[in-house]
Amino acid sequence: MDERTMQNYLKFKLSIAACATLLTAALPMLAHHSFAAEYDSTKTITVKGTIQKLDWVNPHAYFWVDVKDANGKVTTYAFEALSPNALARQGWNRNSLQKGEEVTVDGYLAKDGKPLADGSIHANSKGVTRADGRKVFQGSSADDAYTK
Amino acid sequence: MTMRDVGSVAIALAVAAGMTLVPSKTSAQDPANSGTQKGKGGGGGAGKGKASPTLGPAPRMPDGKASMQGVWNPANFAFTGGPYPLQPWAQKVLDERRANLSKDDPEGYCLPAGVPRISPFPQKTVQTPDLLVILEEGNIHSYRQVFLDGRPHSKEDQLWMGDSIGTWEGNDVLVVDTTNFNDKTWLGGSAPHTDKLHVIERFSRPDLGHLNVDITIEDPGAFTKPHSFQRVFNLMQNTDLLEYVCNEFNIDKDHLVGK
Repeated sequence: MDERTMQNYLKFKLSIAACATLLTAALPMLAHHSFAAEYDSTKTITVKGTIQKLDWVNPHAYFWVDVKDANGKVTTYAFEALSPNALARQGWNRNSLQKGEEVTVDGYLAKDGKPLADGSIHANSKGVTRADGRKVFQGSSADDAYTK
Repeated sequence: MTMRDVGSVAIALAVAAGMTLVPSKTSAQDPANSGTQKGKGGGGGAGKGKASPTLGPAPRMPDGKASMQGVWNPANFAFTGGPYPLQPWAQKVLDERRANLSKDDPEGYCLPAGVPRISPFPQKTVQTPDLLVILEEGNIHSYRQVFLDGRPHSKEDQLWMGDSIGTWEGNDVLVVDTTNFNDKTWLGGSAPHTDKLHVIERFSRPDLGHLNVDITIEDPGAFTKPHSFQRVFNLMQNTDLLEYVCNEFNIDKDHLVGK
């Protein structure tokens, strides 16, 4: 690659990054329910673990993350993501997270502190970072500026 | 240029094209900047942003009427249309709902958002000389039939989405009159209404890329006077509605605790 080609290449890489950022910022990030009635925006969490499963369901996709502590004890978190249609418009699908893969998830805990029926800790996902650094399922109904 | 470069160019162009195809919820708030956004959002406000592209002149139907057809994304979903001129009892209800962080909003239970409230998802307008149909991706996949064939309002009442009939003012403005509501839906920003709700929407298309809806709401049961605001939609090109089946796994309803 000569210098000019390299410059063009870098320029296009930058334009991709800029466009991708704008595109992400541009899409609706909303839910059918009041975020504040269900989740606590002050109780932020970051968990690192492995994907147990992803359910591509409405009105929100859910994924479960197994987190192992130093003693080998596993705690499972269930994260609410955006709706499948909102995720699909950003290019993600039911295969964007694979069972067994390592992820880091940023999110918010549910207000009621009650586990889901399967015993998992209930939370809302702000975004997932895969082991290779790629980010998926970005956005949360917490981004909703609409105070319902 | 190498194949890798070609790939990068293609991706950059595709992404850039995508930006025009999926207009942002903030990008078409140009009406706010040009002074045509008549209200302030009770929750989100009118906001700021750059104009989304006009994309070309407004299209017309074969009968010469303006075409309202397309897949439309709300330019500013956060704009609630409020604050509404509420009677004291209705203001008290609104205050209680807001204190509870809107936990009892019917929409959280996968019930219709009603009219003229919208969901954060796109809607598709299909038009014939006798009928305008609005298909909603969100709002539990509900639909509105706007009859343009001259019939009077239906005798059916207590309706979630109301009964809509439309008449043309010239070839450019479609006036949609909706009545026969129940009192179960919430207005934008969680304000209540009664079954006396009467919604008049004036649809117009200033260019290919935009749909303007000038809305006037009357409700002698809950309002002190009629209230008007404008909602703007951006055209989404080369896409269509996606599936959204709210009741599939709505576990939210069991965890909406409010405060």
